Amino acid sequence: MHEFLTGICFWIALGVCLIGMLVRFVLYFRGLSWQLDRVAYKAHPIPGMKGAFRSIYKWLLPYGTYGWRTQPFMTAIFFGFHIGAVAVPLFLAGHNLFLESKLGFSLPMLSACVADFLTWMAVISAFFLLLRRIVLPEVRILTTREDYMVLFVSLAPFITGMMARYQVGDYGFWLNMHIFFGELLLIAIPFTKMSHVFLFFASRAQLGMDFGIKRGGMKGTKMAW
Amino acid sequence: MPEGKYCNKKPIETPEEVNFLLSDTSGNTYYEEMKSLDVDSDLMWATIQKTMKSRLKTWLEICAHCGMCADSCFIYLVNKKDPKQVPAYKIQSTLGEIIKKKGKVDNAFMRHAMEVAWSQCTCCNRCGTYCPHGIDTGIMFGYLRGLLYQQGFVPWEMKIGAGMHRAFRAQMDVTNEDFIETFEWMVEEYEDEYPGLTVPVDVENADILYTVNAREVKHYPEDLAEAAILFHVAGENWTVPTEGWEQTSLAMFAGDWAACKMQVESVYDAMERLKPKRMIGTECGHAHRATVIEGPYWAGREDGLPPVESIHYVEWLAEALREGKLKIDPSKRIKEPVTIQDSCNYIRNQGLKNATREIVSHIVEPGYFIEMSPNKEHNYCCGGGGGFNGIGFFRKQRNQALITKRDQILKTGAKLVLAPCHNCWDAIRDLEEEFEIGIRWSFLKPLVIKMLDLPDHMKPEE
Amino acid sequence: MFKKILFATSATPASDHAARVAFNIARGYDAHLDIFHVLGVPSRGYSQVVVDVKTKERVDVDDEYMSWVKEEVNTYYSKYLENGLKFDINVTVGFPAREILRQAKDTNPDLILLGGTTGDEDESVYKKSVASTTLQKVAKSAKCPVLIVNRPAASFWGGLSNITFGTDFSKSSDKAFDFTIKVAKALDCEVNVFHALDITSVSTGKILSQDDIEQKIREAFRMIRAKYEPALKELKNYSMDVWEGIPYIEIVKYARDNHSDLIVMAHHSKKAKQEDAILGSNVEQVIVRAGCPVISVNR
Ligand code: HEM
Ligand code: SF4
Ligand code: SF4
Ligand code: SF4
Repeated sequence: MHEFLTGICFWIALGVCLIGMLVRFVLYFRGLSWQLDRVAYKAHPIPGMKGAFRSIYKWLLPYGTYGWRTQPFMTAIFFGFHIGAVAVPLFLAGHNLFLESKLGFSLPMLSACVADFLTWMAVISAFFLLLRRIVLPEVRILTTREDYMVLFVSLAPFITGMMARYQVGDYGFWLNMHIFFGELLLIAIPFTKMSHVFLFFASRAQLGMDFGIKRGGMKGTKMAW
Repeated sequence: MPEGKYCNKKPIETPEEVNFLLSDTSGNTYYEEMKSLDVDSDLMWATIQKTMKSRLKTWLEICAHCGMCADSCFIYLVNKKDPKQVPAYKIQSTLGEIIKKKGKVDNAFMRHAMEVAWSQCTCCNRCGTYCPHGIDTGIMFGYLRGLLYQQGFVPWEMKIGAGMHRAFRAQMDVTNEDFIETFEWMVEEYEDEYPGLTVPVDVENADILYTVNAREVKHYPEDLAEAAILFHVAGENWTVPTEGWEQTSLAMFAGDWAACKMQVESVYDAMERLKPKRMIGTECGHAHRATVIEGPYWAGREDGLPPVESIHYVEWLAEALREGKLKIDPSKRIKEPVTIQDSCNYIRNQGLKNATREIVSHIVEPGYFIEMSPNKEHNYCCGGGGGFNGIGFFRKQRNQALITKRDQILKTGAKLVLAPCHNCWDAIRDLEEEFEIGIRWSFLKPLVIKMLDLPDHMKPEE
Repeated sequence: MFKKILFATSATPASDHAARVAFNIARGYDAHLDIFHVLGVPSRGYSQVVVDVKTKERVDVDDEYMSWVKEEVNTYYSKYLENGLKFDINVTVGFPAREILRQAKDTNPDLILLGGTTGDEDESVYKKSVASTTLQKVAKSAKCPVLIVNRPAASFWGGLSNITFGTDFSKSSDKAFDFTIKVAKALDCEVNVFHALDITSVSTGKILSQDDIEQKIREAFRMIRAKYEPALKELKNYSMDVWEGIPYIEIVKYARDNHSDLIVMAHHSKKAKQEDAILGSNVEQVIVRAGCPVISVNR
């Protein structure tokens, strides 16, 4: 089982995720239409790039935008969750040892205590994200079954990973579950809302170009995000 | 009865058709007929497949349903935070459903979508700047309006408005002759006070081509005189076109993209015919949006720019004051608490916040200007944008929406509101009528004229 | 004398005294009377909704409504309209002053007749946004004389016998004088030329000594003689006077003392200072106070 999951399944999951997202990324930009979107992307590449960069950069900073600042609690749990969700899978020592053995290279590694901290932060934040969905009427009305599924799929690797980490019950079982959910997540990325992992950058870049080209950028005003 | 006499899918093309639709008082029969108007699902789906590209599709798909846009929408806030007014919900439950059902929706759904598209969103684009994913719901509502217009599910006044543009190339039944005649008449009325005041018509290669809002011709012709006076005093070499003088576009509010193209092309033709150095439009927000910001795309101009450099009136005014073409007598500056309405259409959507602030610094005594909160690109819509002001069917909702601006103004304590946008001006007027909070409001032109320090040779003889 | 008269009315009791004068003149000179009613100001963006000045209701204006209003106006004045009076009734939508001027531009009347409160009696918010009143605007921009009948006491136009002409020696006053002479000759009446020396410190900037005042009065007399006497001599009766005081009060007093049945004044197109604008220019104050009709002449 372990062999199967770390072997062929891993390759398939990673391949589906990367190729899927590459395809979606390319399709996104090819599907932009200067006339229908009413943004002259090609005619003004430089203001467009500037706007795109600003739009992404500002929103990646915790409390970097009006949007983030008006919702301080949401911002805290969003970054609490996302920093963990991005950093832990990529930089966890265990993951990188695995990567080294599979691909022959590795990324910088997190120390165990930082990794633990980020994981707990992510899980707790995710809990609040869930709570928010249930409690706040303006979020509840938007919530669909898919939202819970996505939250579950992105949280499952953390929970199972922690079970294995703290050796609650059978280590082997939790490790397999962890790998399984991790791969499920990778596969889910291109096909669900999880596609935002990449498409966030695409969508933000687009609006950034819009502001950079049409909505003031070329008049010399930067959008005060 | 699938296609009604008044309410149908066919756009209005001629003055006779405009009058015919107008003859249906308040659109009573129109809305009655709408209840049995067929939905052409195939047409709608085909249109969607042709026009809905990755941007909109991705927006609908990746929306995190996080609700961060909720508080950014003034209509949500002013309706006691009704969850049904959350921008993401509004668009997902209308456009989102249409996509999910591949266009197979029924009449009742379409009428509901119409209500949401025109009475729950003014396309102010504020939510777009508060969404972490950069999802601009206002743009999506613009798109939805296009689909609804195509199917005939559009408020009566909007159908008429778009029809006016098709029939008259103006938002009201004002002909080219009316325009020139009224302009000349107004200039004549003021020429005693401003010797040498004229309206140069169809002059080629002028520095400035001036375009207006047809409402000025029809109801506020003083505005024309004021524009002429300011150009005259500033010593500008300006002109107006006999054709292509209307800068606004109710067709944009209606979602009638073909009419948008016709309208804006009439202005671009004037530019190409007269070859001015620049085009300047009157103090109107959506007019600028239509002709300068969105227009180039309707007209198929790949660089996204009008044929000649086109600026908003506030940009010209700021420049004229900066360069000393217009001089303000400091003793006549505004000396009472005053605030300014930032029009979404050229502040949020074209970043002209500095121009208006610069004008304020010239015409308001230091210490008397109070910003609204929020302001500049984060300002709330006046409450009447996107066609909301004009639609009788949704008057109640519109009046409710005005409360945001009312409270914003009250909080500043200002007694005078500068409103360099026709639509905002109208909305603020209506909110005074509705709530009587004791404010005055004004375009910039009349205020500036009162404060001018005229060069000696321009002073009228005693 | 008058062939075509534009009578702008709210078709409510507020315009009744003006109406009496209008119909009087029209009959007296066999003139054509254009009864003009601005039924309301456009409201609500580009919607078709208008606040009707008569009913104060928000209405949807369409052709049907317009013809209904026309009918109403006709009924309201029916007792005056009998016996072959030449008239027509026009109804429109817009800001009263602007529409009256537009109608005047299109029809070229020899006289515009306004009730003092035309279109202004409704406390609409327009009052606040449109800086000046209907009266001010029409008087300022009209190309023909504007006759204003504001107070019931002023609603009289019968055998005119005595006209007070108030002058400030401006160019437009010359025009007003020409008109006065024309009327006086046609009706064979007496003309009193009057100038009020403004001694309010607001306008002179200082308090004048009695010597200064008398000096100025003498100067004014000389001016009147030089400017107006040649034409006046062609009349049977005339007089000239200069008083000091607050001009509009003095004119009203003077006209009353002389039993004038008409006051003619020029409308100043000189821009008033902001503080004065609140008080209104002299002619407007005279209109409000005078016991007889007032004609404002502009060009
Ligand atoms: C660079 C990578 C990423 C970026 C820029 C990003 C950005 C975003 C943004 C802007 C939102 C919407 C706002 C919000 O709900 O707070 C969001 C929501 C979400 N993201 Fe990400 N994300 C990234 C990676 C990930 C990863 C790796 C996961 C999962 C492991 C993830 C899971 C989620 C989930 C579950 C939500 C929905 C939160 C909710 O239910 O409210 N994201 N992300
Ligand atoms: S803020 Fe953006 S992502 Fe969140 S619900 Fe609103 S539209 Fe969707
Ligand atoms: S565009 Fe403006 S009105 Fe429309 S949903 Fe967004 S914030 Fe609300
Ligand atoms: S009317 Fe003015 S404030 Fe309202 S949406 Fe339009 S531009 Fe914005």
